[in-house]
Amino acid sequence: MSGICRARLAEERKQWRKDHPFGFYAKPTKAPDGSMNLLEWEVGIPGKAGTPWEGGVYKLMMIFPEDYPSKPPKCKFTPPLFHPNVYPSGTVCLSILDEEKSWKPAITIKQVLLGIQDLLNDPNINDPAQSDAYTMFKNDKVAYERRIRQQARENIPK
Amino acid sequence: MSSDYEISDDENEYYEYDDDDEEMVDAEDGSASEIEVDGFGNDFKVGVRQERKIYEVDYSPLSQPEVERIMQADVDHISSIFGVEPPIAAILLRHMNWNKEKLIEKYMDNASAVAVAAGVELPPRELTPPPTKSTSSRGSTAGPLRTLRRLSADKGSSSKGKRVSPPAEEPFVCPICFDDSQTDFLSLLCDHKFCAGCWKEYITSKVRTEAECMITCMGEGCNIAAPDPFVEKALADDRETWSRYQELLVRQFVSCIPHLKFCPYPSCTYTVSCPAAATKSSLAQIVPIVTCGASGSHVFCFGCPIDADHRPVVCAVARMWLQKCEDDSETANWIKSNTKECSKCQSTIEKNGGCNHMTCKKCKYEFCWVCMGPWSEHGTSWYSCNRYDEKASIEARDAQTRSRASLERYLHYYNRWANHEQSAKLSMELYAKTEKKMEEMQITSELTWIQVQFMKKAVDVVHRCRMTLKWTYAMAYYLAPGNQKELFEDNQRDLERAVEELSELIEAPIDPETIMTLRQKVTDKTVYVQKRNEIMLEDTAKGYLEGRWQWNTTVEGFETE
Repeated sequence: MSGICRARLAEERKQWRKDHPFGFYAKPTKAPDGSMNLLEWEVGIPGKAGTPWEGGVYKLMMIFPEDYPSKPPKCKFTPPLFHPNVYPSGTVCLSILDEEKSWKPAITIKQVLLGIQDLLNDPNINDPAQSDAYTMFKNDKVAYERRIRQQARENIPK
Repeated sequence: MSSDYEISDDENEYYEYDDDDEEMVDAEDGSASEIEVDGFGNDFKVGVRQERKIYEVDYSPLSQPEVERIMQADVDHISSIFGVEPPIAAILLRHMNWNKEKLIEKYMDNASAVAVAAGVELPPRELTPPPTKSTSSRGSTAGPLRTLRRLSADKGSSSKGKRVSPPAEEPFVCPICFDDSQTDFLSLLCDHKFCAGCWKEYITSKVRTEAECMITCMGEGCNIAAPDPFVEKALADDRETWSRYQELLVRQFVSCIPHLKFCPYPSCTYTVSCPAAATKSSLAQIVPIVTCGASGSHVFCFGCPIDADHRPVVCAVARMWLQKCEDDSETANWIKSNTKECSKCQSTIEKNGGCNHMTCKKCKYEFCWVCMGPWSEHGTSWYSCNRYDEKASIEARDAQTRSRASLERYLHYYNRWANHEQSAKLSMELYAKTEKKMEEMQITSELTWIQVQFMKKAVDVVHRCRMTLKWTYAMAYYLAPGNQKELFEDNQRDLERAVEELSELIEAPIDPETIMTLRQKVTDKTVYVQKRNEIMLEDTAKGYLEGRWQWNTTVEGFETE
């Protein structure tokens, strides 16, 4: 299992370095001894231009299970994000990240990240994961947008 | 129309599913399985009873191969109607949760839409302007022929990329593992190629860790389903996963058909068919206790998740009772002996020290712990309560008594319920003792092995009757007061007394002198106890059919009465 997992992640890494969407970054984390930990990636997802998310780059950890790509990676915003489909822990709730829903082994890291970027300004109201963002989104769009812009400002990369 | 379920004619009245479930079992091998079923029938029905008792239901145990045959009959039927290969028909049926009528209706209406939704046909390409010309029902017949196509690496060009096909000399690399040494590729009719190793890994993971039997293509957003022969081929030499996959298919089928239920005992693969209990409404009238064909000890209820014989109580009441016991019993006992309720807000209060001047933490009501009356009436008589007859405190105590009474009522039933359960457990221990006793008897008396069987029989009967008794207390707890309840409790008392007497007899020491009289007594008593048990069960079963039982609370299925 781990055979496929690491080989695939190494290839994903290669593909990413060759070509990746503008504004994103994704790199395996470093273990304390300096070696690369392919099972845990640190990534950044930029908010789309023309949306309240613009300007921010949102930091996310991708944690790959040993049976990846049979199983999807776990994607977790650090710190947790104010968004209707992000759990209080920061974990993203998205159908392509759910092995019982639309996860497919052929989905690449690039596709996952673009999927999450789409989700930012297009939340799925049928599947709320936190109450704060969900209630505000439902009841007060103006305040919600203000809050999102505020969050974008807080996440401007240094 | 004949069926191989051994459904007696009278059961068809309960059979509210007027779809063709019966037709489904109308397989040519019907007669064969009927014989098998009969074989079981005689096996598990202890004794020589031929006629069904009023408190028994008609059912038949089915082994996994038998269920597979029923599934196959369905698949063949659909396959012949639609003119598709059997593996495709199987996917269509699974997609429609084995509702054959609905499948036929929808398929006749729009074959392509059903085929696409089930993943046996490619969705029409959005770019093609005339959608009517795209793959119609002909496409689905062509589908299975393509599904198993094994692509060799040198063919290279992927058909989905119409415009950009990779140069022929560059070898195809599996997009899952990127292992360029792979040469063995498989794809479904969508032509998404992946290497055999990745397919195997993926299917194994789906089957073994997710218990999923509907396998779809690994490509992103691709909904094309893998037919069984493809799964078998991809799993290659992993027969264990393949047989697990087949088991999952059977489970999915069984869970879709209302008159089938999987045996809940661990690692048992038997199924029971019980058309009489297939509807929710039937569960207000019968208690469908069944035994699967694998073992006589796999007794469970067809109608609810209780894996034990809970006659004479109907499922809804039995569940309510178990829920109550789970929630209440231990706690209730403790509360009863250690706490009192605030006479104003009924909060339960434990006094763990201090004086008798209590202040309720919740409603701030001040009262005396001894008389439960308001503290204000106590004036200055701190620490000593001499106000027993005050009106307010009498009222407070009354309220207290009422709430305690309902607790005590519950505990009355619960203790008897638990006692019979405990005794039934002990009677299993008695089994071992009885064996010894029987040996003893063979030695000390003239009795032969067959003649000392009465002891074993008596223990069996005691055990069974204690189970009945146990559940009668659950029933009595919920029965509305009245003549019917009194009659019920009379029957209960008679059975209980008889059981206790027999219980005492079989525990008695053996004396060679009196062994013949003991045998006589035990045999007589056993017959009597059995008779009382029959009466109990028959009367309650009749009561359900006649709608005689009234409950003191709302019970699912009885609401209209």
